[in-house]
Amino acid sequence: MPIVELNHVRKVYDTKVAVEDLSFAIEPGTMFGLLGPNGSGKTSSIRMMIGMTMPDSGTVSLFGKPYSRAVLIRVGYLPEERGLYKKMNVLDQLVFFGELHGLSASEATKRSRRWCERLLITEAIPKKTEELSKGMQQKIQFIASLLHEPKLVIMDEPFSGLDPVNAALLMDTLVELRGEGKTILFSTHRMDQVEKLCDQIALIHRGHLVLSGSMPEIKASYPRNRVRIDYQGDNVFLNHPAIQSLKRYSGRAEIILRPSPTLADDAQSLLAEAMRHARITHFEVAEPTLEDIFIDKVRQTSTDPGNELSIADLRAEVEEESVHVS
Amino acid sequence: MFLRVWLVARREYLERIRTRGFVITTIMIPLIMAGFVGGSIFLGSKASNDRVIAIVSTDTQLALDLQTELNHEQELQKEENHHDPAQSPTSLSPQKKTPRLIVEVRDVVPGSRAELDQQLDSGEIDGYLWITPATSPAGRPTFEFNPRSNGDTAVHDILANALDKVLLREQLAHRGIVAADAETMLQPVSIAAAHGSHRDDRESAEISVSILFFIMYLVIMLYGMNVARSIIEEKTSRIFEVLLATIRPEAMMAGKILGVGSVGLTQVGIWLSAVLLLAGTSAAVHVGGDTFHVALTLGQVLFFLIYFILGYLFYSSIAAALGAMTNSEQELQQLNMFLMLPLLVCFVMLGTLLNTPDGTLSRVLALVPPFTPLLMYFRVSLGHPAPWEVALSIVLTSASICGIIWVASRIYRVGILMYGKRPNFAEVVRWLKYS
Repeated sequence: MPIVELNHVRKVYDTKVAVEDLSFAIEPGTMFGLLGPNGSGKTSSIRMMIGMTMPDSGTVSLFGKPYSRAVLIRVGYLPEERGLYKKMNVLDQLVFFGELHGLSASEATKRSRRWCERLLITEAIPKKTEELSKGMQQKIQFIASLLHEPKLVIMDEPFSGLDPVNAALLMDTLVELRGEGKTILFSTHRMDQVEKLCDQIALIHRGHLVLSGSMPEIKASYPRNRVRIDYQGDNVFLNHPAIQSLKRYSGRAEIILRPSPTLADDAQSLLAEAMRHARITHFEVAEPTLEDIFIDKVRQTSTDPGNELSIADLRAEVEEESVHVS
Repeated sequence: MFLRVWLVARREYLERIRTRGFVITTIMIPLIMAGFVGGSIFLGSKASNDRVIAIVSTDTQLALDLQTELNHEQELQKEENHHDPAQSPTSLSPQKKTPRLIVEVRDVVPGSRAELDQQLDSGEIDGYLWITPATSPAGRPTFEFNPRSNGDTAVHDILANALDKVLLREQLAHRGIVAADAETMLQPVSIAAAHGSHRDDRESAEISVSILFFIMYLVIMLYGMNVARSIIEEKTSRIFEVLLATIRPEAMMAGKILGVGSVGLTQVGIWLSAVLLLAGTSAAVHVGGDTFHVALTLGQVLFFLIYFILGYLFYSSIAAALGAMTNSEQELQQLNMFLMLPLLVCFVMLGTLLNTPDGTLSRVLALVPPFTPLLMYFRVSLGHPAPWEVALSIVLTSASICGIIWVASRIYRVGILMYGKRPNFAEVVRWLKYS
């Protein structure tokens, strides 16, 4: 029985279709990534899952039942726009949220302290929320959504605005939670984060589901046609006939190989050619990245010719947000 | 549900009561008010009530008679006041007190008018009355009063009054009526107040209603708007998303109203107990003298509390609805009047209720929820409402408080989630059914 299930969900705002015919299911114990650029419908989908809004048509079910307020006690929710009481002391704040979720004051205090230790922010405990850095506030909110040990954790952009060290800390925490048997859904527009973390993904673009499934399966369905070479010396080997397109950087080339049944051999012959001209410090053959897959998929599904996107547009759409975040 | 309401209310209460702003207003507002009242009493006591009046005439007998009459009148007045201090005007403003005249009689000498004018300028005397005796025995003398300040009508009236009596007495004597008889004829009529105690009730009811109105106005201004503000705060800080993922919007609204509301009640409670404590000590006597006198029965206090709390909750829930409708404090300011208007209407209607507390209009108005807290309280203390009317007013107001909270929470719920989109009717209906 899936823990979260969306069935042909449609949500329309005033002028904009936020989500159109969206269906996916999240199995218990998985780490699920909801992916897509900003404005693609991630937050709208999440809000429908926790009953903040209702779908115009289609159904959403949690824990195998249609939405009801009673099940929310088993859900931990981190909203996209963080909200904490600014003037409130951190511990009081955490205890308040814990109590709202049905914990006793003493239990909530105990767990809050334990979580603050786990996320290395014990020095924030006596402070007022407004005195904390944005990253710390985000950790507080992260804790607030987990205090009542929910079976299902739903997090909207949990890593945005965090430095790499703290982002990694929270990612590790989510991995640990999954290890404890919890189901985790998080949304992000950072495709690279998903590749590392997720068992399953759903990729949406402009409210439509573009791609979904388990991460290894998706990767396996694509040929290993991406080659990265770091080198010192002459770069004439980049004229090799197996290369379809490439990007040149100083001392590095990122290559897409021509489709061919002998792709693995082509890669080897390219390496041999390169070694004849230059000193190779790194050679890697891989599937396309999720970002590449996303762009590829969106191009395929753009049926309306007038609205068709160029690769450059799509890449810009994705990269703009990466820049925006970092 | 109730546990959650309690949690939200407790958080709101504790967070607010710990702020510096709360401590400052709790201390400062009574200090400012005490300073204001004390200052005006001090100024009032400093402004002397004595007026030095010179009576100037060649007819010395008339002047002396007038002096005696004026002194006698003032004796009488003083005695009356001494007799019944509670009946003295229940007013803190010193201007309304009758001035005390110090009368000097002077002979006319050459140059005395110039001298009098000069004394008038220097403030040695506050006015002089120049009497020119009648030229014929049947004629009347002519009077000319020169006050220092033309606005001193009180002195003018006292003088005219005394002159009337003196002249009348003179005329009566002239026609051969014995002085004692004349005195009886001149006695002013006194109407005994048969329902003296009722008048007391009325006065104290008026005063306590005014106090209730004032306290409600103040508290709603200070805290009703705080309810609205705290709801807007929740929207702008976007905490509602976390909250609404756990609790019903009604619970949140009710918690806010109760929490912020209790802060207001705490503050008023502190103020009132300070006043009572002060009244219990002799300090009050020194500050207020015997001019401040309010009699409240236990029943009045009880109904005061009931209607104050009802009124407070009613207006707070309207404020909550206003907060739910708006997205910023500026927008809220524009809707402010919806909170104040019913209160002001109440105040205007007080006149009608004063005259006919049990009239049809009064009875109907006192049952309309926005007016109930003030008007029904007024009727309870002054009129004779039927018990069912009192019960009905309490039920109606409580029901409308619940209704407003329910509607406000829906407005809130729909408002925040539409994200700028104006919901159409079908959507609103759908939302109303949804939690």
